[in-house]
Amino acid sequence: MSYHLATQQNVINWIRGLASENPVYFPEKYGHASYRFAKVEADSEIQFEHYTPTVLPPVKLLIPAREELLSFRKHSDGKTEINPTLDESFRVIAGVRPCDLKGIFLIDLFLKEGVADAHYLARRENTALIGWACTAPCDSRVFCAAVDSLHHSEGADVFITPLKNGDVLLEIKTRLGEKLAAGTDWQPCDDGPAKKVGVVASMQEPFGRTFPVGVQDIFKKVAKNWKSPIWDKHVERCFSCGTCNLVCPTCYCFDVNDDMNLDVTSGNRTRTWDACMLPHFAVVGGGHNFRPDPAARQRHRVKRKFEYLPEKFGHGAVCVGCGRCGRQCTAKIDIYDIILDLINEGERS
Amino acid sequence: MNTAASRYDRIARETFIPQIGKIVEVADMTAKDRFFRVVLENPLGHRPGQFVMVSVLGLGEAPISISNGPTGDNILEMVIRRIGRLTRAIHELNVGDELGIRGPYGSGFSLDDFYDRDVLFVAGGLGLVPLRSLIVPVIAERGRFGDITLISGCRNPAEELYRDQLERWTTDAGMDVIRLVDSTENMPWKFGTGLVTEPIPKMTMDAEKIVVALCGPPVMYKFVIKTLMLRGVKDTQIFVDLERRMKCGVGKCGHCQINNIYCCQDGPVFRFSDLSAIPEALQ
Repeated sequence: MSYHLATQQNVINWIRGLASENPVYFPEKYGHASYRFAKVEADSEIQFEHYTPTVLPPVKLLIPAREELLSFRKHSDGKTEINPTLDESFRVIAGVRPCDLKGIFLIDLFLKEGVADAHYLARRENTALIGWACTAPCDSRVFCAAVDSLHHSEGADVFITPLKNGDVLLEIKTRLGEKLAAGTDWQPCDDGPAKKVGVVASMQEPFGRTFPVGVQDIFKKVAKNWKSPIWDKHVERCFSCGTCNLVCPTCYCFDVNDDMNLDVTSGNRTRTWDACMLPHFAVVGGGHNFRPDPAARQRHRVKRKFEYLPEKFGHGAVCVGCGRCGRQCTAKIDIYDIILDLINEGERS
Repeated sequence: MNTAASRYDRIARETFIPQIGKIVEVADMTAKDRFFRVVLENPLGHRPGQFVMVSVLGLGEAPISISNGPTGDNILEMVIRRIGRLTRAIHELNVGDELGIRGPYGSGFSLDDFYDRDVLFVAGGLGLVPLRSLIVPVIAERGRFGDITLISGCRNPAEELYRDQLERWTTDAGMDVIRLVDSTENMPWKFGTGLVTEPIPKMTMDAEKIVVALCGPPVMYKFVIKTLMLRGVKDTQIFVDLERRMKCGVGKCGHCQINNIYCCQDGPVFRFSDLSAIPEALQ
């Protein structure tokens, strides 16, 4: 771990340099007001100043919408050959904000636990993350500070904090980070931690939307509200489209499907994003639906973020407060509003 | 990078690559249920109540209950209902054809919970298939159990599974077998009519000594459990085998989640007392 100082232009040139050797993904402006993680090309604009959360979080670069798990081929001697498909190519994701670093950190935990998710971890292990600290809320919908993800930097190989004077503080956090920084002319910095504390102290309070209680108290409230009119209140206008799941940095549920090639002897098995808000998510053969009611599906989604996975893994809220679900929802249903209502409601079991 | 490559390749193989099983016997059980006996490359090594992920490469994969007792050999027996695209394709297969098999998965039953107790099996419809993987080893050690009763119900006489087996269990397994249909629908039927709950209030039962294993359609559980509890059977003495949608079998795809537990890993067999704080369990 070491600290360095550099100018923003210096860092931008460094990222361009990395992009000339490896695929580097960086938030680029897309349409009028949206951002997306896109591969840096020679003419890409690289800037840190203007940003709202990308439509899809960067973790989706590691969990593609459609991913081959295995391919198979039936040989003429009758033997069937089946091989896993793994992507172990190297990539850099730069400009990753603390909320999204927290999202990747959590997905790492979830997919390492028990039977490890080899397809994700192979990609993740070959991915370098360059983080960028937020010093002002990126829009009015975020509530990262309220769910303790604003200062998350674990998982980043290099973490960059912009300083008041326009320069930046670079924190090299891993060996891979050292490798990426090799050959740069950044100035060593002896008082990195103090400089960071100074930046944090000068950040606006409150930072984004807040809750009247802390995360541990939110967990208690959510756990005690199995039967609550709040579950019906917000879902009244829900289309069960699953967008909230698809844009969430901590959603990873998937469906599995096979495809046969036209030769009818080879094909593949792929997984695609699935969403627990979709009506068919818990339907079994024969047609029984274990969660037919949209309110029950929404309760499940909220409880995964604020009860089930926090209890199981003990790393705080599994909602990082990025605001994407509320921002993208056609019906303007916002998990922030649901949690706020649950906090303000009396306890029901 | 090479060491990482081989490590994840190995994990991916263990997780997602099915072994190839060869079908050695096929038999119709009902108009829509077919029995399959499959010989695997490696021993299955399963416990009663576990399941496998069965696939036809190019068409898909689904969780299927194991119906044979744990014998330690390479044999897998299943009864598969024709219900969708994949199972329709499986029904087209014959002796000599191949199936992809992953697993076994899940918790399953432990015989230790049943030794020295009276045992009641309650099976509704296809529920008899996974329960058979427990009934077979129980009968094999008949002397280690008290009274054994099986209540097996299905919609109508034509839908009854394992008829020959039920005959044999009735005559020479030392077990009371109560065979029921919801309705005879004017088909010949020499056994009882009614729901699987109906014999329970009339049974001679030592509520302290009995252990119950039940498996059937989702609607069945609540009513059977309620009836058992009215007889004084405690929730610690009841084991339920639950069904859920499953796509991976290894606790990742999210479909089988019941509140905070994963049916594929924590279940599908649960001691009912462990589900007291799991409101989604019997929905």
